[in-house]
Amino acid sequence: MTWDYRSSKDFKDYYEERRLQRRIGFVFVFLSGIFLAFLFKLWYLQVVNGESYRRLADNNRLRQVVENPLRGLLLDREGRPIVRNRIAFNVLLDREKIKQLDQTVATLSRVLDLPESTVRQRIARYRNRPVFEPVIVKEDVDMAEAAYLESRRLELPEISVAIEPKRSYEDGHLAAHALGYVGEISESQLGKPRYAGYQLGDVIGKAGVEVAYDGDLAGEKGWKQVIVNSLGREMRELPVGKRPVQGNALRLTIDLDLQRELEAAFEDKMGSAVFLDPYSGEVLAIISKPSYDPNVFARRFSAEEWKGLMDSETHPLQNRAIQSKFAPGSVFKIVMSIAALESGKASPARTDFCPGYAYIYGRKFLCHQEGGHGTLAMVEAIKRSCNVYFYHLGKDMGIEIISEWAHKLGFGQRTGIDLMHEEAGTVPDDAWKRRTRNEPWYPGETISVSIGQGAVEVTPLQMAVFASLIGNGGTQYRPHLLLRREIRGGVEEEAHAPEVVSKVEIKPSTLKVVKEAMWEVVNQGGTGTKAAIPGRDVCGKTGTAQVVKASAGVKSEKLAESIRDNAWFVGFAPRDNPRIAFAVFVERGGHGGEAAAPIAQRVMLKFFDKLDHPSEETRIARAPQHP
Amino acid sequence: MLERRSIHSLDWLLALAVLALCAVSLGMVYSATLGGPLSPLAKKQLIYVALGLAAMIITLAVDYHTLASVSYLFYAASLVLLVYLLFFGRAIANTRGWLELGPVNFQPAEMTKITTLLALSSYLSRNRSSSLTPGNMGAILLIVGLPVVLIARQPDLGTALTFMPLVVVAVFLGGIRIRTILILVMIPILALPLLWTHYLQDYQKERVLTFLDPARDPKGAGYQVLQSRIAVGSGGLIGKGFLEGTQGQLKFLPAQHTDFIFALLAEERGFLGSLVVLSLYFIVIYRCIAIARAARDLLGVYLAMGMMALFACQVLINIGVVLGLMPTTGVPLPLMSYGGSSMITTLAGFGLVLNVWMRRLVN
Repeated sequence: MTWDYRSSKDFKDYYEERRLQRRIGFVFVFLSGIFLAFLFKLWYLQVVNGESYRRLADNNRLRQVVENPLRGLLLDREGRPIVRNRIAFNVLLDREKIKQLDQTVATLSRVLDLPESTVRQRIARYRNRPVFEPVIVKEDVDMAEAAYLESRRLELPEISVAIEPKRSYEDGHLAAHALGYVGEISESQLGKPRYAGYQLGDVIGKAGVEVAYDGDLAGEKGWKQVIVNSLGREMRELPVGKRPVQGNALRLTIDLDLQRELEAAFEDKMGSAVFLDPYSGEVLAIISKPSYDPNVFARRFSAEEWKGLMDSETHPLQNRAIQSKFAPGSVFKIVMSIAALESGKASPARTDFCPGYAYIYGRKFLCHQEGGHGTLAMVEAIKRSCNVYFYHLGKDMGIEIISEWAHKLGFGQRTGIDLMHEEAGTVPDDAWKRRTRNEPWYPGETISVSIGQGAVEVTPLQMAVFASLIGNGGTQYRPHLLLRREIRGGVEEEAHAPEVVSKVEIKPSTLKVVKEAMWEVVNQGGTGTKAAIPGRDVCGKTGTAQVVKASAGVKSEKLAESIRDNAWFVGFAPRDNPRIAFAVFVERGGHGGEAAAPIAQRVMLKFFDKLDHPSEETRIARAPQHP
Repeated sequence: MLERRSIHSLDWLLALAVLALCAVSLGMVYSATLGGPLSPLAKKQLIYVALGLAAMIITLAVDYHTLASVSYLFYAASLVLLVYLLFFGRAIANTRGWLELGPVNFQPAEMTKITTLLALSSYLSRNRSSSLTPGNMGAILLIVGLPVVLIARQPDLGTALTFMPLVVVAVFLGGIRIRTILILVMIPILALPLLWTHYLQDYQKERVLTFLDPARDPKGAGYQVLQSRIAVGSGGLIGKGFLEGTQGQLKFLPAQHTDFIFALLAEERGFLGSLVVLSLYFIVIYRCIAIARAARDLLGVYLAMGMMALFACQVLINIGVVLGLMPTTGVPLPLMSYGGSSMITTLAGFGLVLNVWMRRLVN
């Protein structure tokens, strides 16, 4: 195979030399041309367009990371926190640091008390995510678990505990419907102008005050600039950006003491109650039962839990105080009396004879008092809640006058409270019936409406506003839950001024009659004696609204609970310059005097006790607008 | 073997340019693999350069005629190795082209470039008249074709294609007529539509299309092209500084220590740095050509031009890809990219070229 090059004839001859040199020269020129082209391209990329590529490189590596602010606190009227933010501990798994997956899974399963399959499932969920993104193995673990894991960082370097602020409703169910809850923004909400600037995953108010004042509570987002690598992992934070600003604290009109008293008094009954300041519309206490714990919404809860709340027959998510419409029952007799006196259709002295029933338009209408009340005038008729008296009053007035006055007194329209999805209720008349049912109004229907039955429907909040209006002499205030905003840095903004919705012209004589009657209901052996507080001149009116027609004339206690009457007790105290007005509604409670009046009494006792023995906070918290 | 006189007549310009490129390579591989899980690679690269320089001294020290006289042995040995690999090679990235040598993997295909170069040069210098005969053509195709087929079977088509410049040089310098060359060039151009519809795989078509319009697949095939262009462009006139290349350090650049190392250099050293490195490459090529011109015999001409062609072709393809002038191919940048086989064989090849220059005056 080898050969001696010296014996070979490969020395270059002249012709070959020339040809070779030419061709080699050609190769050199060709390659030089390509190098020049490269140089030109480099010049074009780096010097001519360098700036724009530098911007592109910055876009690659710089990420603006949004920093979410803490939500503003919710305080009661005396400044006591009702809703705070708490720290939740989440257990994270750093997949990059796992040495033995089986061992890690076993440890997590033991420490967190989770089945191994669950741990594996949670890890598997992150399969398509960048490996540096930690797996959330368990959310919101308790302090002990977090401390245990934190103290073993050396042994378990792949497991860490991260903190996350969560909304915390201090008393769980307390005033849940008024406070509302928070949750992650939905995709449909993202498209709305109200939520411009929000991103998926942001927590927003979903119900109650949380949504009504979301703009105040949300605060201002901050941002930081970080350098990320090609996988999106944060490498370094740059010293620019803006700290997030916590949302404003809101001082609510709710009095935590009254609210707690109301919650306790309501026990596990279904229904609703609203206590107002009659001269400002401030909501002192509000309840809707059954209730729910808003804390469950603060964590990511399961579809089943949500379905359970949504599908429950008792509708725990519904705010009965503003969303449920009920027949007002005998409370409507106050509306009837005012309408009759103001329209001149009756005088206070008008009397009627009650034999226990009345034949009107050829039909027999019963009074709740078997054997009848005998002859009575208006005050007595209200006090004893005689149906027959008001059947006749209704017949004499007709539906249009009743409807006109019911509207004037605030029914059939929203009160305008600062909560969403309020219902307007129904005040029927001929136009309403033609509009909704395409039928004329029959006079017989007026008789039912006269005692608060039939088509007339009200919300508990409307009833409380109505009681305030009677108490304060005819002014309807917009009920509200916001007392004032506490602006950052502790400087308080102006308090929420009382807002007058309407002033109803009611003759003093009319009010005097109505108030006298309501006083007697409570203090003179009427149906509301269980609300009486010596020395406080409580005024009130009971109502017992039929759920089924058959219940007329039958004692509530004898009826099955599902068809038992709804119980109302509506009123204010004291009679002159009242400090508190209320409506208590107990679903399936039977008689208002039995089921609802004691609840009102208990809350009022607490109220007046605080009024008599005010703490510094209570004095500050009392609205100055009282006469 | 190595005479004092010969050392004095060493082509210092070529030697220094090659050494300078090796030094730049060490710096760039260090930068490319800093902080990441790749950082031991910089140490390895240092060892490769040292081994390469040793190989270079060997191929420089032994008279190239002596090497040529045993070239067929080397050539046959490398073919045997390539056949062996087909059955027992270690597969890396689906290519059965790696030989495990203790802690390192060696790619015999790279070494085969040099043995093929030697075998081809010695054949051509002995067996040709003023122009190529069909027999010469057949021999050229056979000598280059055998390793190409074996490497393509691994399958490593990219490396196999880097042998093609040897054929081009052999044919071009061998005395083929320009008219024939033009015909040979026209055939593949005319055959392009046929090639496109019948022979190119979908991923290869995608590469070409993405090259023409990188934005059509910015997250996939176009990603490399775009990121490389951003890295190069953002370097500006003077660059972002050593270890300061954001595209490289934050791993936006794909294969930044191998195929895209020039992009990293362009980012950190800017136009001026690129100019220096491009100039070094040009000097190397220029010197190879000068050495070929000065060679005392055809063997020297073919060795110098063959090595130049192997080298220049890879440099132009690699930088062409980085600058977005060519579709992505996966060819490393000689003397710069991380990798032992390429570094060692390239340095050994330049040992041969220096050898030719050193012995140009020997009678």
